[in-house]
Amino acid sequence: MLHAVNLTKKYQEQTALDQLNLSIAPGEIYCLLGANGAGKSTTINLFLNFIRPTSGKAIIDQIEVSKDPMAIKKLIAYIPENLVLYNELSGLENLEYFIGLAGLKYSEEEFAGFLNEAGLQTDAYKKRVKTYSKGMRQKIGIAMAIAKRAKVLLLDEPTSGLDPKASNEFSELLIRLSDQNVATLMATHDLYRAKETGTDIGIMKSGKLVEEVETSEINHNELEKLYLNHMNL
Amino acid sequence: MILHVAKKEMKEIARTGQFKWMLALVILLGAIAIFISHMQWQDKNEQRQLADENAKELWLAQGSVNPHNAAHYGTYAFKPQFPLSLIDPGVEKFTGVSIFLEAHSRNEADMVAAADQTGLSRFGDLTPDFILLFIIPLMIIAIGHNTISKEKELGTIMIIKTQGISNAQFIIGKWVGNFTPIALITTALFLLAALLLEAFDWKLLATMWLIYMAYFAIINSITLVVSSLTSNSGISLVSLLAIWIVSCLAIPKVASSYTNNQYPYPTRQEFEIAVAEDKKKGLDGHDPWNEASKKLEEETLKAYNVNKLDELPFNFDALRMQKGEEHEAAVYFEHNEKLKEINKKQTKVYQSLAFLSPFLPTRFVSMSLAKTDYGTHWDFADKAEKHRIEMQRILNDNLAQNSKRGQRDYKADASLLQQVPDFHFELPAFEDVVNDNKSNLLILMAWLFASSGLLFFASTRI
Repeated sequence: MLHAVNLTKKYQEQTALDQLNLSIAPGEIYCLLGANGAGKSTTINLFLNFIRPTSGKAIIDQIEVSKDPMAIKKLIAYIPENLVLYNELSGLENLEYFIGLAGLKYSEEEFAGFLNEAGLQTDAYKKRVKTYSKGMRQKIGIAMAIAKRAKVLLLDEPTSGLDPKASNEFSELLIRLSDQNVATLMATHDLYRAKETGTDIGIMKSGKLVEEVETSEINHNELEKLYLNHMNL
Repeated sequence: MILHVAKKEMKEIARTGQFKWMLALVILLGAIAIFISHMQWQDKNEQRQLADENAKELWLAQGSVNPHNAAHYGTYAFKPQFPLSLIDPGVEKFTGVSIFLEAHSRNEADMVAAADQTGLSRFGDLTPDFILLFIIPLMIIAIGHNTISKEKELGTIMIIKTQGISNAQFIIGKWVGNFTPIALITTALFLLAALLLEAFDWKLLATMWLIYMAYFAIINSITLVVSSLTSNSGISLVSLLAIWIVSCLAIPKVASSYTNNQYPYPTRQEFEIAVAEDKKKGLDGHDPWNEASKKLEEETLKAYNVNKLDELPFNFDALRMQKGEEHEAAVYFEHNEKLKEINKKQTKVYQSLAFLSPFLPTRFVSMSLAKTDYGTHWDFADKAEKHRIEMQRILNDNLAQNSKRGQRDYKADASLLQQVPDFHFELPAFEDVVNDNKSNLLILMAWLFASSGLLFFASTRI
């Protein structure tokens, strides 16, 4: 579903991403770990077509991202570290607006259903989002992905700053989407969350993917050790 | 999708506290401006009608009178007050509303409103055109300065970019969302003016509305362009305020100073001296001994094959008076044509500077449609002069045909005064106004296209 083929991004002399190769199948949750500046966000941004690759290809559902970005937008949903919404609109109105931008139309009941599926409390639907916590905002992001019937979920440190309960709820939602064959690429610093949520983990350092491991093959301690080994190299 | 973005934009604007205050303020100011202007308009209109009737009564009250005495007694030509001057009073305040019509002199318009005002008038009046030309553009800037820069600052633009809407659709949606409340306010103000106005031309009012809509559309586009190209709402606001100051305040003043400097009008004193000198070069109707009078005498005697003026079948004094009038009228015509030529040159320079600011062409077209521009005033002055010449001709003709040379006690029948027609100022037709403003309309359209082009360019930079 999602492939990086020798994907490289250079800024003048600096290489932000160096010959990245990875594949994520439908239903997989691929967690990219790494220190700041390792290339995690650059990878996400290349799949989002926010930046163009210097060389190599980012492919989603057999479409090269930089060649047909409009087609890609129909397939993806994106949740950044801080999902900023319109404060003067309610959660329901925000969802309706963003989904409308994707050319999709649903009834108010259907939108309420998506919010319910994303785990937002019913009494919050019509409240202005300026009263929302970060966790509630991230749930709107998940509701967007559900409403959009996204095949690919691109997440850039989505649980950063969330309390453990909210973080846990978020992971459960990702797993539920994974059960619906959504392919997820998530950049994160949270080793615990990566192990609990992900199906695969990639460790990045200085723009290179230095380790790939399936979460079923490794426990928390081993993952931490592996990660720190790479970071200390 | 465009309407979807516009709808959300309007919803967000309507829920913003600052907008509600701004909206209330603009509507209040607009409504006050229209009501005050309407009251003043009615008051001035009544005064003009009353003065016009009084002038006619006084003219007729002379009864049986010597025609030349009547010519010196004179009367007034009043410029009617046009309904749309309620919206745009233009230069009316400085041009005057009546012209005294008398023998031998082409007078300038008097009853200049600005001359009757105190120093406080220097601060300007609260008129609908002030709201339309200055305040609503500020409101557009206040609403739209952060419409796109805010999306960048907050990061919502990243989510929008992943949804599938094109940049062009997004920016057009924003444009429609910002423009709709402005269009509604403007339409409401025009409708209010229409309700208060009496006997006005809908075509003119609709065209004026359209011109202001185009002006606001241009400003709205420029606002969104700046908002798109900056990623900081503060910078966007400061940049747009600078653009507003330059285009609405600085350029019109610079243009005015530049044109006056390039093509200055003579001072009143210079003008009067030049007219007096040229008058002296020709025939003076009151001076039978000047060279031109003597020449006319010789030519007339020869033409009628008589030896003495008393043998002529008409009063030669009246003919001399009429010829004197014709000479003086020609002198005034020549000097006024020079002034008009300067005005034309100034207008041309102004129009060439209209490329620098959409304010200038809007201002000119608005004044023309309201018939409160210099062009209409010149037209009024010319028609009043034509009327004066015709009035003198009727009076001198009567004197020539019915009195004898030197017969100072001749009095014409009172019915002569009724033979002098009432002065009617025919308004320029709508088509003529459009024709006269062709270049302003073209410049405004050029601004509209250029700002739209810039908007599409900006959409590629979001």
